[in-house]
Amino acid sequence: MGTLSIFNIGTSALNAQRLALDVTSENITNVNTPGYSRQTAILETAPTTLERGFPLGSGVDVAQVQRAYDSFLQQQITSQNSTSGDSSTLLNSMTRVQQLFNDLTTNGLSNSLQSFFASWQDLTNNPQGQPERQAVLADAQQLVDDFHRINGALNDVKSSANQSLTGLTSDINDDLKQIASLNQQIKDITIQSGSPNELLDKRDQVVKDLAGKVGITYVTQNDGTLSVSLSLGQPLVLGNQAATLSLQADASNSGYYKVMSTPPGGSTAVDITSIVGGPNNTQGEMGGTLQVRDTLVNGFLSKLDELAATMANQVNSFHSTGYGVNGSTGLNFFTPPATVTGYSGQGGIALNITSTDDIAASDTDPTTATGGTGNNRNAQNIASVGDQVYAMSIGSTTLSGFYDSLVGQVGVSVQSAQRSSDQSSAIQKQLDNLRESNAGVSLDEELANLIKYQQAYEGAAKLITTGTQMMDTVLGMVQ
Amino acid sequence: MRVTQNTIANMVRDNIQTIQQRSELLQQEASTGLKVSAPGDDPVSAQQILDMKALMASGDQYQRNISNGTSWLSMAESAMSGMGDAITRVKELSLEMSTGTTDPSAYPAAVTELQQLKSQLISLGNTQINGRYIFGGFKNDTPPFDSAGTFNGTDDNVNIEIGQGEFLPINYSGGKILRGGTPPGSTGTDVIGTIDNIITALNGNNPAGVKAELTNLDKSLDQVLSYRTDLGARLNRLTGASSIIDDTKLSLTKVVSDKQDIDFAQVLSDLTKQQTAYQAALAASAKVSQISLLDYLK
Repeated sequence: MGTLSIFNIGTSALNAQRLALDVTSENITNVNTPGYSRQTAILETAPTTLERGFPLGSGVDVAQVQRAYDSFLQQQITSQNSTSGDSSTLLNSMTRVQQLFNDLTTNGLSNSLQSFFASWQDLTNNPQGQPERQAVLADAQQLVDDFHRINGALNDVKSSANQSLTGLTSDINDDLKQIASLNQQIKDITIQSGSPNELLDKRDQVVKDLAGKVGITYVTQNDGTLSVSLSLGQPLVLGNQAATLSLQADASNSGYYKVMSTPPGGSTAVDITSIVGGPNNTQGEMGGTLQVRDTLVNGFLSKLDELAATMANQVNSFHSTGYGVNGSTGLNFFTPPATVTGYSGQGGIALNITSTDDIAASDTDPTTATGGTGNNRNAQNIASVGDQVYAMSIGSTTLSGFYDSLVGQVGVSVQSAQRSSDQSSAIQKQLDNLRESNAGVSLDEELANLIKYQQAYEGAAKLITTGTQMMDTVLGMVQ
Repeated sequence: MRVTQNTIANMVRDNIQTIQQRSELLQQEASTGLKVSAPGDDPVSAQQILDMKALMASGDQYQRNISNGTSWLSMAESAMSGMGDAITRVKELSLEMSTGTTDPSAYPAAVTELQQLKSQLISLGNTQINGRYIFGGFKNDTPPFDSAGTFNGTDDNVNIEIGQGEFLPINYSGGKILRGGTPPGSTGTDVIGTIDNIITALNGNNPAGVKAELTNLDKSLDQVLSYRTDLGARLNRLTGASSIIDDTKLSLTKVVSDKQDIDFAQVLSDLTKQQTAYQAALAASAKVSQISLLDYLK
């Protein structure tokens, strides 16, 4: 050693401070990059040497460039994103469903149901009246139309949920491929040198994005790669290989898609419809979509079918025993339900009679000597179907009470979707704040670092200058 | 906790968003005047509101039935009053003719009047409302009495519903009032038959025969009167039912309004509060994000 060591130490300082400045500038430029984790240059003293019996440092080394990272927090953010994807999908669909049951502000099915039975009441006041008979048919048609409208719109919600699976699946496939290729790059770089911070951030970001669509769990392997699988087990990414999701029409579920997965490196696709949405389809947009398509809307549809079928059966049972003004009897008022499922839709409930004369207001044949067209007893019976309590799936209730409870059920679904969406976005904000606090870039901090490292750099440059002067002095002695 | 520029920026963004969302909700409430305008706003209230609205709607229908029933019964009332008057006149004439002191030459004139009174009773028995014969039972689109006074209607009650499961007949059988049942006289007094008998007696110059029918005339008057009393009771029931429906509707309207309508003063003052909060949030964030270390580095 000797005078030259000052150059060595000075150079190591220049290098280290410059690298620290590079890291600082990287932080400053990425202040607004989503998913970026702030990085810090960790400096340490270079190995000591013995200088005339004294241990003396040999400058500064950059030990590593570390990123601020909390893997537990990242796990939470990822799984929260699954909840959030699920609840926002539910909320969107439920808001659409809610608009169909708009009885509070406009005239919906509830109003049609009342009008229908009110028109039978009017008929009891004037059983022969043509206008009253016309009104019965018109109100019945309105009621049928309302059933068809709601049934059709609910099925639309189902099929648009089904359609959205196409886009969702291809997004998931993209994410899986990205994770697999990032895995490869990260593995390569980790073997060669230190930790590829930017790539890790990017992979975290893709994993978070993926979790919004489908519930996942993941494990980091020793070689730096991430193994991703569905939260209920099926592997999605192993090393640099990704699974491929595909859709297939399922004949046993009205031709709606079933979700298939070809595992990483495998060639046979397996049906993952029952697990892809997480437990009870509660995770990710995939879970929300499947829940809407296979559970929630079906619940409303079956209630609607039950209402239509019960009403039609009750009205028919009276109507078919009564007599029209022309003596016609044995006619059903609505087409009788062959099966309850689907009865509220097109091809289900419809008017069975078209002539006002066939409306059976009378319980005896008006054309015989003992009868009379003023007989309103059957109209009375049918009108009272609206007030009667029937044993239905939610217990004993009137028809309109049953419908009101369906509206309540829709309301509860909307409310709970709203709540869980509010809740998950609140939690998400909180987690984002925590992440920002841990890993976010503070410009003030970086600017302070900038000055710190700049001054250290200037100091190191001064060392070199001093060394040069010393060198000059030594060389001058020789002259 | 470490705070960065982005922490503050996110907070500002979230707070302004929250305030905007609340304002939007309040705006919507203020413009619709409803706090429950969709089932999701409050499912329990929504269900109750619909239930109560259905109750009110059925009340409206019962009111329609009642007003229809009232007009039928009022019509029957005036017809029965006319019948009473006619029978009273028959009785006066019969008393006059049955004393034995009246000159038989007055009989033909009496017979003519009696025949007119009989056809008056028959036409009263054929009273119509909106083209329906109110005394015809279920056969109410053809006249229940023919010119001879034979009853061709039925004795059925035309019931209307005046409350849930509560039925009231709004008609009387012409056969029972004027013919004492079918066949005539089987359940009461045959009013028209009695008049026919008096006419026959007078035509046969038989004042004793007229006298024998006087008790039947008294019974006839009683019979019509008792139907009128019953009718009065039914009208009372209709009025009572109608006022119950009105009362129920009034209280239901109040409950529905409590559940569904907003308190305007409250909503408007909340809106003002949100506006103030909005301004404060904007002002504060403008202040905070102005300063940075950059300002002091030269």
